[in-house]
Amino acid sequence: MPTPRKRKGAGSELLIPIAALLFTLYYFWTIWNSPWTAQVSAFFIGTILITLVLVFMLKTAVALYRREAHLGIGELLAPRSLLPVRIGLLMMTVGYVILVKWGGFTLTTWVFLCGAMLILNGWRRKRLVALLSAALALSGYLLFIVAFETRFPRGPFENLMRSIF
Amino acid sequence: MEFSPDLFASLFFHTIGYWWVIIPSILLGLIVGAIPGFSAANTIIILLPLTLVMDVEVGLIFMVALYCSSRMGAGIPAILVNIPGTAGAAATPLDGYPMTKAGKAQQALAISFVSSTAGGLLTTVVALLTMPWLARVSFYMHSVEMIVVMLFGISLIATIAARDTLKGLIAGFFGLMIGAIGTDHVYATPRGTFGFLELYDGVPLIPALVGLFAVSESFLMIEGESILSQHGKDVIRKSGWAATLEGARIAVFRWWHITWNSLIGLVIGVIPGAGASIASFVAYQQSRTYSKTPERYGTGHPEGLIAPESANNGVTSGTLIPLMILGIPGGATAAIMLVVMQYHGVILGPALFTDYPELGYGVFMAMAVTYLMMIFTVLPLARYMSRVTLLSTVYMAPLVIAFTLVGSFVPREYMFDMYLALAFGVIGYIARKTGYHVAAILIGVILGPLLEQYFLRALKMSDGDLMVLFSSNIGNVLWMLLVFSVTLSLYMQHRRRSTDSAEDGKSR
Repeated sequence: MPTPRKRKGAGSELLIPIAALLFTLYYFWTIWNSPWTAQVSAFFIGTILITLVLVFMLKTAVALYRREAHLGIGELLAPRSLLPVRIGLLMMTVGYVILVKWGGFTLTTWVFLCGAMLILNGWRRKRLVALLSAALALSGYLLFIVAFETRFPRGPFENLMRSIF
Repeated sequence: MEFSPDLFASLFFHTIGYWWVIIPSILLGLIVGAIPGFSAANTIIILLPLTLVMDVEVGLIFMVALYCSSRMGAGIPAILVNIPGTAGAAATPLDGYPMTKAGKAQQALAISFVSSTAGGLLTTVVALLTMPWLARVSFYMHSVEMIVVMLFGISLIATIAARDTLKGLIAGFFGLMIGAIGTDHVYATPRGTFGFLELYDGVPLIPALVGLFAVSESFLMIEGESILSQHGKDVIRKSGWAATLEGARIAVFRWWHITWNSLIGLVIGVIPGAGASIASFVAYQQSRTYSKTPERYGTGHPEGLIAPESANNGVTSGTLIPLMILGIPGGATAAIMLVVMQYHGVILGPALFTDYPELGYGVFMAMAVTYLMMIFTVLPLARYMSRVTLLSTVYMAPLVIAFTLVGSFVPREYMFDMYLALAFGVIGYIARKTGYHVAAILIGVILGPLLEQYFLRALKMSDGDLMVLFSSNIGNVLWMLLVFSVTLSLYMQHRRRSTDSAEDGKSR
């Protein structure tokens, strides 16, 4: 008995072209009443991009019609077993970007590294993770803020260190 | 500016005497080059007060050594973890990272180091001997010629897209559209900015680089316990000095490849504003087009690693030529050097080479000595650096995310840039998961604004007449080379497919 051919996940493959199409249309909207110098290059590139996206959509439609593809986005989330971990890491990353403004580099990096490593490690080796994260965050502080005087986001820890030394 | 062997010999030994400045600068440059957001220019700005109080010669040697080694440093994370340290190394992971995944990280680093140092050294010597003539290149490269050079870079999108042309082109043109975000060059009309003031100057490169490469790679690398297969791990654990020597041998045996690509870098470097990213993409595209084995590019082919690494180091001496002879900086680092030299009262121009030859030629000699010292200081490190790949992704992924995201904050100090890096991370993740090449998007983001700038300049000079694009002799020669290059690439691809199908037919 012949094995059924695996259908391609066209839904996930359409995400980038759809994003490109929507962005190009939005871009055109922002330059519609602008002088020609602001339009010429974008219209040239945008028209080619829209054409390419339409060709891709046509190809996908044909594949869907022939039942060679489906509109699922499963490939994007694969492997499913890792989905909670990936969502956890994403939440930690978003939290890091939001909180670093107030928490400063060292403290927020320590919390982020601790949380992210614990999520990825299945909440095992808590002490090792806490110590390793602290060492990495402190090394970053010493190298970038103390040695290079880089203007990383500053928070309570950096302010405390500055007032002591 | 005449060639004098005695002067060069005495300068060479004089510069070697500054080893105590050069070696620490090399190590510092490797670190700042490897971290996205910490370019040599940023570091020199941070250390500017220190540079100003130094003796002008020491200050220049320090800056030159830092500049050269940071260029090489940018290739290290590109090879080891698929994250280029700067946009100039964005073409390096195309073949460097597949080598790492195959357990050949040490060999790849050795190839990169030898190509970088040999390419940099060779172009420095060429620059020393041909400076007056090379300086004229920037006079002949106007907007029309630059458009063709950009198109050489963009044609790499098609090269990358060889496996799925349509997807590659969509990714590349999507990048070009993203690169067009910002105000227009004439009336400052905001375009595609979503109302964010932070995007009025265009899309900053570092957040794009961090998001597309580092953040997206981190979310993918957690699918395995390590970025290496078990075989790859075994190879790395067992590898001794032999892998370094093998990498060096591979690079040395391809000396012609290093020579050709570093000279591409030198010529592109001379053109103000062109830079290492364009040079490395053009070199990679040229290398693949004229290769006998183009199908191996993108799979961990040494020549695909040699091309961008030798080209982006060829740029370093190129950017200093217009600075030293014409007083026109060819890049950000050269601009800071100009500030330092002016602070010390050094008048740049042809007179510098007759009045103060030890300073004029000394800068290039410092570059040559730095590259020589890099061979001995950096090459042995390949063995130890490659061990980074043995680190579990449990620890590596969060570390990469935290340090690169905060690195995207550094150049402009906008919190917005961290959000932007995150947004590019999402785009990069979807792109990688669905078969769109992030390098194609990045090429678009880098070249988009430059192409528009030169395109508009050419059209304004000709009152909107498109035929201006074919109005210069040099431009027409470059057009012919471009057409030849693309046609040859398509022909080779067609011939390869025909051969493959013929072999398939025989095997049935």
